[in-house]
Amino acid sequence: MKYTLFLGCFIPVRLPHIEAVARGVLPQLGIELADVDGFTCCPEPVGFLTDRMTGLAMAARNICLAEEAGLDIITLCNGCTYTLKQANETLKADAALRARVNDVLSETGHEFKGTVDVLHFAQVLSRRVGLDGIKAVVKKPLTGLRVACHPGCHILSPPAVLGFDDPLDPVVLDGMVSALGADPVDWDKKTGCCGWTLTNYGEREAANRLLGAKLDAMHAAGADCSTVICPQCFYQFDTGQMLAARELKLEYKVPTIYYLQLLALAMGRSLDESGIRQHRVKDPALEERLGRLVA
Amino acid sequence: MAIRATYPPSAMHEAAEVCLKCGVCCNVAHSCHVMYDKKFNPKYTFVYDCLSSDKGASNPNIWMCVSCHKCEETCPYEVSPVHFIEALKGVALGVGVVHPTIRAEVAQVVATGFAFPLSGATERQRQALNLKPLPTKPLGELGKIADKTGLAARLREGQP
Repeated sequence: MKYTLFLGCFIPVRLPHIEAVARGVLPQLGIELADVDGFTCCPEPVGFLTDRMTGLAMAARNICLAEEAGLDIITLCNGCTYTLKQANETLKADAALRARVNDVLSETGHEFKGTVDVLHFAQVLSRRVGLDGIKAVVKKPLTGLRVACHPGCHILSPPAVLGFDDPLDPVVLDGMVSALGADPVDWDKKTGCCGWTLTNYGEREAANRLLGAKLDAMHAAGADCSTVICPQCFYQFDTGQMLAARELKLEYKVPTIYYLQLLALAMGRSLDESGIRQHRVKDPALEERLGRLVA
Repeated sequence: MAIRATYPPSAMHEAAEVCLKCGVCCNVAHSCHVMYDKKFNPKYTFVYDCLSSDKGASNPNIWMCVSCHKCEETCPYEVSPVHFIEALKGVALGVGVVHPTIRAEVAQVVATGFAFPLSGATERQRQALNLKPLPTKPLGELGKIADKTGLAARLREGQP
């Protein structure tokens, strides 16, 4: 399986340790990653917040680069998946709109043809590699680790386009966590937004209340940590939790671990190699426990 | 389902006619973040503050919507407040009342290809992880797209 790796903005700029983990572990599951020069922001802030035609054209331009390489796209971010997949499916289905977008793209020398698919890495792992394929690379099962799975909004909805999981009762990420030997917990508020966009464009107080309610629910379910598949969700649960802890008067911590980091640990990588020591919310007891599991 | 490249006024008001104002979009457990900010919820922002006003795009509460689509999924009549609110955000850019963070992000994307500014700290982190440096040259192709669609002009005109 060979894909063009679409990094977007958030991971390469703000969370490069997640990029490093992805580049390290995905090839070991048979996922070959090709770099394509010229990828830009997906562009979520343009496409879905201000100007749809420009957003479609910029998303289509990214997809064109993958088409020119003859490879499907693999992403590491819910937002990129939401933007690119909606643009891809829309333009494949609507010839008139495709013609308008290609007219805009003619200035750049690209033409959208609709020959590739866009897939989030969690879709590739759960469907194309499969849970048995994940289990096959696990050397250090994360036995006894209780994990609150937070898939995030933009990989779930709209389900007819994203096609990942049931938006009101998502279970795919839980299955992927079970494949690592860990125990996904059943927790309230699992399907709610992480609050990242509310922090950015709304009000931080409201975002903090939302974050506090989610962390309370994870803690009440006995989670040792949460896991996410989106950099915005990661940032909110890590840096956001650190910043909100005082206002929320949090008396506990729920560290968050990006799914690919959990996978790296289960494959036998050290805590340093998985990048967990770079996180803002640190729990020495959890780190000590993870260290024992992967020793 | 597919996104709409434009959401003409006729389609916006069609949605208003279908909406029963039943409030299910706001009352389903784990629906949008309505319960965390009293100023925003799909029902009031969508139906009363925006559809009942000819200045919906100027309503700052539209920026609270995160496009999670929960309102759309729970609506028994398949009304889509999320598409309506997204369309209002597009109108807002044209009339110069866009959220300042969004304006800056959009301008940044058009100019550099990234939604976030690149810093020395990013490059140091990438170097420490043996990752390739990020491209720092401006990408002309996005500027050409923005010129052709008129976004570049709208960004200039909407400047405060």
